[in-house]
Amino acid sequence: MKRRYVRKLFRTKKIYDFSKTDDLFIKAMRENAIHHYQNCEDYKRILDEAEFDPYQIKTMEDVINIPFLPTLYFKHHELFSKPLWKMPIKATSSGTSTGFRSKIAMSIGDLWRGFQMVRRIFSYHKLWSIRPVTYLIFGYQPTKHSQAGIMKTAYGFTYVAPAKKRVYGIRWTKTGYEVDLELIKQEMIKAAKKNSPIRTIGFPAYTYFLLKEMEAEGIKLQMPKGSKITLGGGWKQFYAEKVDKFEFYRLVKDVLGIDEENCVEFFGAVEHPILYTDCRNHHFHVPVYSRVIIRDPETFKPVKNGQIGLINLITPMVEGTPLLSVMTDDLGVLHEGCICGEKSPWLEIIGRVGIKDITTCAQGAEELLKE
Amino acid sequence: MILYQGNIFENHQQKHMLKTLRQDCYDTLANEESLSINEVIDACDKLAQQVKSGMYNDLILPLLEEFDIPYDYFLTHLPMFEKPSLLKKVEIELGKDYDAISDLDDENIKKRYPLGILFHIAAGNVDALPAYSVIEGLLAGNINILKLPSGDRGVSVKLLSELIKIEPKIKPYIYVFDVPSTEIETLKYFAEIADAIVVWGGDGAIKAARSMATVTTKIIEWGHKLSFAYATLDASDEDLEGLAHHMAMTDQVLCSSAQGIFVDTDSREELDKFAERYFNIFAEANKKHKPVPYGMKSKNALQLYYEELEAKDSKKKIWKKDGISVMTSDDSKLELSMMFRSIWIKMLPKNQIIHQLKPYKNHLQTVGLLTDNSQFEELKNILIKTGVTRITKGSDMSRIIVGESHDGVYPLTLYSRIVETYKYSEVN
Repeated sequence: MKRRYVRKLFRTKKIYDFSKTDDLFIKAMRENAIHHYQNCEDYKRILDEAEFDPYQIKTMEDVINIPFLPTLYFKHHELFSKPLWKMPIKATSSGTSTGFRSKIAMSIGDLWRGFQMVRRIFSYHKLWSIRPVTYLIFGYQPTKHSQAGIMKTAYGFTYVAPAKKRVYGIRWTKTGYEVDLELIKQEMIKAAKKNSPIRTIGFPAYTYFLLKEMEAEGIKLQMPKGSKITLGGGWKQFYAEKVDKFEFYRLVKDVLGIDEENCVEFFGAVEHPILYTDCRNHHFHVPVYSRVIIRDPETFKPVKNGQIGLINLITPMVEGTPLLSVMTDDLGVLHEGCICGEKSPWLEIIGRVGIKDITTCAQGAEELLKE
Repeated sequence: MILYQGNIFENHQQKHMLKTLRQDCYDTLANEESLSINEVIDACDKLAQQVKSGMYNDLILPLLEEFDIPYDYFLTHLPMFEKPSLLKKVEIELGKDYDAISDLDDENIKKRYPLGILFHIAAGNVDALPAYSVIEGLLAGNINILKLPSGDRGVSVKLLSELIKIEPKIKPYIYVFDVPSTEIETLKYFAEIADAIVVWGGDGAIKAARSMATVTTKIIEWGHKLSFAYATLDASDEDLEGLAHHMAMTDQVLCSSAQGIFVDTDSREELDKFAERYFNIFAEANKKHKPVPYGMKSKNALQLYYEELEAKDSKKKIWKKDGISVMTSDDSKLELSMMFRSIWIKMLPKNQIIHQLKPYKNHLQTVGLLTDNSQFEELKNILIKTGVTRITKGSDMSRIIVGESHDGVYPLTLYSRIVETYKYSEVN
């Protein structure tokens, strides 16, 4: 089947010009839904059971009604709509407390679309650079030992500007992966005395803890011009610490001498490989490649903008795995209007469903039983 | 915050305190005058009266609010810490003659003594629990070293320092430290000083305590437990309603909270009929309780949606409404529910009870037994053989009664030892 509309959607030049792409988006969704319906047995069964006909997707209302799949489903099922040997990328989500990981595959076409998307988004946010930079990565050193998607993303990201060198905070040793943030700290101190800029990549939490430690030690550096702090993987680890984003930017300025405008944050998921990048107001605008629906947890009906609910992410990007409508484990709010000037709504992520750190005696007992 | 012999210190002064801890504990033991049970009881009684008078409301009211405990309910349970209740507890656990010397035979006498020094590792799920554990240690006459759980908000230190103000004799019997679980060397040091480690919490905490203890230190474990209801098909609506209120009130988070209901049947059809009946009663009872917290409701909604996608293969059936749900399946496995009012109902014919549940032995706690008079005795006796320690009505599964055992044993007995001595004059 021809992938006419999906291709066209991913060629859209104005990446946050939402209104003009609705019609194209709906057509691309129908195209993608029919592709998975025809090629993935499990997905066909799910749509049939829900009595949903993908050929009838004609309006945004129909897109909203496509049965969504929770991320939990991908942790228990491998859904592929193409022969695996045709798919160069097989990614898994980073492990969760349940120990299950999602398995997602992407085709060459998916990667090409991803590349176009990233190219446009990075241009828009002025992230491309020809100056060689030192990458400080608060994450896993890529090895053959892990297939975590976040690692691939991080490594891929080190080509955005030419890499002078790459330093990893979690390195492969004889005994497995080990955290070595001290190494990153030393690299930062070295970099401050040189000319080439740095780019950090990684979870906000690790970055925060290291900077906090450096602040406590009285370290105050001035990173070379052009240095950037890039963050990905969410602020989830922060809920206990209750760190304000602005406290984080203050810390970056004080310890590394990098301005707030050079702190860029990304949001994405293995189950929804669309890149969300924050604007200068630190808002995640929804790009034309996807739509976000916030749903009421009881009825699953969309709520009004400005109200909290479950985050449902929608995109026709992927043909390898039916990721067209994925329900995340996160609660969020979709907002309208932003002083950055972009018209597309922006997504505020409130946090994971469930009280994560709840300690109950019954739960502990079960964990014991499983051993 | 550190509480050391009645004085409060900041955490950074810990190093200094650790240097003198062993010496100070031993000095207290060497002191001829020891702490009597009645002095501890009187101090607790006074503290309870002060709490009742509203003296600590600024501390207590926010906690009650957070755990959704009505103030009246709290007040009705406060007498547990008053003199008559504590006396009853001591008499039941240690015997009416808890302080008496009695004859073992003609030449020997016996008397109960404290173990000596207890090291409490408290769990973080109930705010005042660490203080409660120390009070039990005091009641048996012990010196108490307490490691606060992470995220402790100071309630325990506050209560214990008030207790010391009321009865200064208690001063050298309480040492509270805010040591993180990662500071293994310090914890090992406490364990090494103590006669016994009293550990509350899950597998992690208990394993850690076992690894810290040397062979000369005893371990007293208050581990996590699972509870459930057992119903016959003819259980009355009234009993089911009582259970429904219990389930809505405790949200399946307590050791004594029912995670689900086992039904005495091997017919899936009968089970589903029962589940539907219970679901309607549950949904009605739920209206009288606060709604399920938003984050938990959302979590369960996703899990249930997932189960519905799998239902064709898993044969699970789900009833849901207003954030609560009931799920039936073909298996008879005891498991944790999704919690927060999403519970399971499973088949477990009475001739299978022991075979299915015995493997869980020490992890079982309370059974809410819902049946008619004719079957009560028989079912009770079968259930007891699985290892449970409490059988109650559905509505009473998390009730508290003064003098009841803790998971089948008496803590004060575990915190004591019996010493036999020969009668000096008879021998000579």
